[in-house]
Amino acid sequence: MTDTVQQTKSQFVAVASIAAELSAVMEVAKEISLAAANAKAIAFRAGEKARGFQPITDFINELAKETITLVNAINEHALLLYRLTVNEYRTSTAFDKFQTATKMAEGAQYQSSLQTSTEAVEQRMRECRKQFKRHVGQLLDQLQEVMHPARAARVIAANSRIEASQAGEYLLSLQAVAESVDRAAQIIHNNVQRCRSALNVINITE
Amino acid sequence: MKMTPIYEGSHRWIMFGRDTNKPSNIIDTNQYIVRTANRCLLMDPGGIELFAPMLAAVLHHAPVEEITDLFASHQDPDIISSLGLWDQALPKAKLHASSLWEGFIRHFGCESIDYVGIPDNGGKIKLESTELKIIPAHYLHSSANFHIYDAEAKILMSGDVGAALEASGAPIYVDNFDSHIDHMRFFHQRWMPSNQAKRDWIERIRKLDIDMMAPQHGRIFKGDNVKRFLDWFEGLEVGIAV
Ligand SMILES: [Fe+2]
Ligand SMILES: [Fe+2]
Repeated sequence: MTDTVQQTKSQFVAVASIAAELSAVMEVAKEISLAAANAKAIAFRAGEKARGFQPITDFINELAKETITLVNAINEHALLLYRLTVNEYRTSTAFDKFQTATKMAEGAQYQSSLQTSTEAVEQRMRECRKQFKRHVGQLLDQLQEVMHPARAARVIAANSRIEASQAGEYLLSLQAVAESVDRAAQIIHNNVQRCRSALNVINITE
Repeated sequence: MKMTPIYEGSHRWIMFGRDTNKPSNIIDTNQYIVRTANRCLLMDPGGIELFAPMLAAVLHHAPVEEITDLFASHQDPDIISSLGLWDQALPKAKLHASSLWEGFIRHFGCESIDYVGIPDNGGKIKLESTELKIIPAHYLHSSANFHIYDAEAKILMSGDVGAALEASGAPIYVDNFDSHIDHMRFFHQRWMPSNQAKRDWIERIRKLDIDMMAPQHGRIFKGDNVKRFLDWFEGLEVGIAV
């Protein structure tokens, strides 16, 4: 097995783990959006006491939406990476086998007739590789972007705690909301970080 | 990969098999080619493991651009799982295989090769002036299954019918039919599902003039052994697992 075939195997693993991390991020983003709706209802009931809390819930909701949109875009990109990996696997396996066959066909009358196909397959393999690298770069940028709303959410969660402290009997429920947003943002942050390191692993193995 | 010419006339038949380098846990298979002046047909080209040795062997007989036709008797992996690799090796080729199996066989990878679906009643493959008949052999053992008959060479390529499971390195031709039965009995009883399909096939095959019956596993039947096989198969109860 050549390095390329081995390489595509680790790409499969990386792309699959990205997909898994992303679907977890998606779940969490949905949870945040639910928590925001919840908080809004509580803040509404708390009225004057939670006045500072209301714009915060809207903002949290925005962030959740933004995360979902970004993750959708990243997912599409990851799918493209998967397709490129399939193609690269296919062409690199063929390239390997063609080389083996050429060696085995030593002395055969038509040995050289395979050369054109071998070159074509090698060309396609390199093209996939190049495209893959380009898209990994773009995906890393997108992952960087998805960290922003998560980071902002954590800051807001901290603010929410302060606002919640003025909400009297609603203190506990609003605090719980702030905590769940904070926890969710942290999970997103960690998952995205893992995506990035999965991608970096493939980048390094080149 | 051993290469054995089995017919020389206006065109040639060559059998490939008894690959000594193949991993021992995959079933031994026979591949056949028909070579005309400028074209070449590969019948049941085999599995992925066998692709490189098979291609290397074929390169002794034809350049890749003249390998214009592939035939798959049915959808099994030992028959055609190498398709995705041939697909990238052959600049212009057709695959003749059952229409019924098209959506399945394409899973092996078939982008540049042209899939020519064979209807249930069979058809033909024309290679320059050589015409080969595609004979239906449904349920033997696959639900859509075909054999190739060459009226000039009087050869029937019979896919899994006539297959034998025996130690690697067995001779190419059946020498003693009676002792060969031991290598065939279980295979046919267990892999072939239908007595009705079997009887129908035998009836049609008896009408053909056959010098050689060439299966995808085991040994080739010559002369009277073809008739002996048909008689033996006729009396055999198949589909024994239920
Ligand atoms: Fe089969
Ligand atoms: Fe078979």
